[in-house]
Amino acid sequence: MRELSVIEAVREALGDEMARDERVILLGEDIGKLGGVFRATEGLFDRFGAERVVDMPMAETVIAGVTVGLAMRGMRPVAEIQFADFIHASMDHLVGEAAKIRWRTGGDWSCPMVLRTAYGGGFRGGPYHSQSVEAFYAHAPGLKVVAPSTPADAKGLLLAAIRDPDPVLVLEHKRTYRAIRGSVPEGDYVVPIGKASIAREGRDATVLAYGMMLHESLAAAETLAAEGIDVEVVDLRTLLPLDRETILASLAKTRRLCVVHEDTVTMGLGAELCALAAEADVLDVPPVRVAMPDIPGIPVDDNLEDAVLPNRATIRDALVHLVARERTRAGVAARAYDPGIPQASSLIEVALSPEHTRVALDALVSAARAVPRCNATFAWTGIVEHEDVVVDLDLGPASPAAGRGTITLVDYGPDGSDLAIPFVRPGQTAAVRIGAVRNGRAYVACAVDHRAVDGADAGRFLAAFKSAAEQKRATPSLDRRATIPMSP
Amino acid sequence: MWRLARAGRAHFAVPCSGHEAIGVGYALALEPGVDWVSPHYRDLAALLVLGMEPRDVMLCFFSRPSDPNARGRQPYAHFGSRRLHVLSQQGPQPNHCSHGVGCAWGSKLLGDGSVSVIAFGDGGAQKGEVHESMNVAAIHQLPCVFVVHRNGWTQSVKRSDQYATETLVARAAGYGIPGISVDGTDVEAMYAAASEAVRRARGGGGPTLIDAQCVRFMPNTSNDDDSRYRDRAEVDALRATGDPLVRARALVDGAFAARVDTENEAIAAEAAEWAEAQPLGDPASVLEHAYA
Repeated sequence: MRELSVIEAVREALGDEMARDERVILLGEDIGKLGGVFRATEGLFDRFGAERVVDMPMAETVIAGVTVGLAMRGMRPVAEIQFADFIHASMDHLVGEAAKIRWRTGGDWSCPMVLRTAYGGGFRGGPYHSQSVEAFYAHAPGLKVVAPSTPADAKGLLLAAIRDPDPVLVLEHKRTYRAIRGSVPEGDYVVPIGKASIAREGRDATVLAYGMMLHESLAAAETLAAEGIDVEVVDLRTLLPLDRETILASLAKTRRLCVVHEDTVTMGLGAELCALAAEADVLDVPPVRVAMPDIPGIPVDDNLEDAVLPNRATIRDALVHLVARERTRAGVAARAYDPGIPQASSLIEVALSPEHTRVALDALVSAARAVPRCNATFAWTGIVEHEDVVVDLDLGPASPAAGRGTITLVDYGPDGSDLAIPFVRPGQTAAVRIGAVRNGRAYVACAVDHRAVDGADAGRFLAAFKSAAEQKRATPSLDRRATIPMSP
Repeated sequence: MWRLARAGRAHFAVPCSGHEAIGVGYALALEPGVDWVSPHYRDLAALLVLGMEPRDVMLCFFSRPSDPNARGRQPYAHFGSRRLHVLSQQGPQPNHCSHGVGCAWGSKLLGDGSVSVIAFGDGGAQKGEVHESMNVAAIHQLPCVFVVHRNGWTQSVKRSDQYATETLVARAAGYGIPGISVDGTDVEAMYAAASEAVRRARGGGGPTLIDAQCVRFMPNTSNDDDSRYRDRAEVDALRATGDPLVRARALVDGAFAARVDTENEAIAAEAAEWAEAQPLGDPASVLEHAYA
């Protein structure tokens, strides 16, 4: 397949669609004979004429306004705002009008328009030729906002945008225009709006990125692969509506989130993406955002611009920090105990031999099967009863989080104290503690998460444990970690 | 409608008393269902001429979900009808100017010979939107007619605090397009001016600005109290010479006028009673026609 740059892919999409659909016209500043300041429309003026490739006055409000009117009238206008920095003069028409027209008329009118603009820094453009504006417009229900990163997506998303029955804002990162080349299918195809793609598969952390930051994130991921950290990079492609399904599927796999964008951090897209992950409860550690600091513009000075824009090195550092978070003692301790879990406890005396680990495990499984509600986990959405008993002998503070067990067995052996009440860990429902065996007998204590299990069930659970343990049936084989079905 | 809104039976009324001849004049100059309109929010008279049913007006007034204009989602006077070629209207005035220009541009590209009327107030005319729109329409000689309802008030702010000239017609020359100054309370003069402008637009002669002077006899909307900023007695004194209904009445037989009044009052009362009885929206429907 031939390779094109992003700007060549944009140009091809515009030309192909103008040839295919005569309702498509282009409007913008300097897009005619000059071919646009980035040459997105180069050659199109000669090919389609001044009637369909229209040089507009330097007036972004009316560029957007007549584009709305042309779209309502049944044309398929594609307007270019030369730099995203100038787009806010169009905002009233984009947010106040185009985004609302279908909704405010109950579908009587629609506004099938496209507005393309070049955004992003990294080429010494200063505060008014470098900004990222996506957060303003991705906050406008009724708009669709796409941000392609690759030449193939630049063509496919632009074609999808022009054919979409509703207004689409296409954000093209100006540094990708020539820096990024890639395979582009010949002929007609669309990349569906609202679908992210997995740009790189990985298991240790997920990066959500778009535009030039997608490429910086991929470079960071390559560096980290050599260091043994396997990062998944999701190319969002569409910023509104978000592809929640793809994002959450990736996060469910990696459980760690890093959002990267050039836009400033506060109230940026990263805030929404972190909220999405938090609400879905798919993260094991707090997320990180790599973004522009909250400064009003991007400075033109080489050193200053390089200092504020995220890049592969700052993304790499953030990812190392993110992946290391779970490995730190403090992070694990913070997850291993939750004083907010209300605990109830029961106590029973059991006849046990001094060597009783296999017997106790067998009894635990029997008891869980007899009282399934003790093998359940409390969640705010409801109590989840488990289909398996997960036995994990990797004891220690990290065992519940790593082992996914629902019941912790604590047994300090013959030298332990007679009696202690164990503590239920987050994510678990019960903890069972066997005291020291004296004269063939030991106290067994059980604590439960009182939100999931009531005291009577905890008592029944211990009674079942005692009954099974005193039959001295041993688990035949014992792995360090085993999953045993609830039904025998 | 004014009385019903003040009685709390509807949310919002926009009086058009004093403005009726402008809308009637330009609407009569258009071909219904062919030509396009981006109306001023006081252009109820134009919409009735173009074919909007009184019951639909009242559904809009009572903000019912069956209102074909705004489906219970926008307050009264935010008109719109694809069937009648009335572009959906919005709150921020007068954003519909550039929409009307875009619509006229579509007419030119499609070559269907249709004309667009774009109407707005003299307050709205002070916004850059209008300048940019008239400039683009003039550059491309688009088939449209700009109609400014010049009543001298922008809600509570008087003319001299909004613009420094007495009239707005001179602005046309600034764009290189014809300007017509007209007494917008004289329905025959308004019709003549609009007909000339529409004929020019349809013939490829480009846009025209019609500066139609009129009187706003009522407060700005049902939420306004104009006694705080102007002398109502002075305004009422203009009824005899500046009320287009009074002036139009002089053109016809008195018995005919009385009969029309009686018939229309009955139609309005029936439409209001019927529309008020229509159901309010289903809360679940608020997500319809939304995405993301």
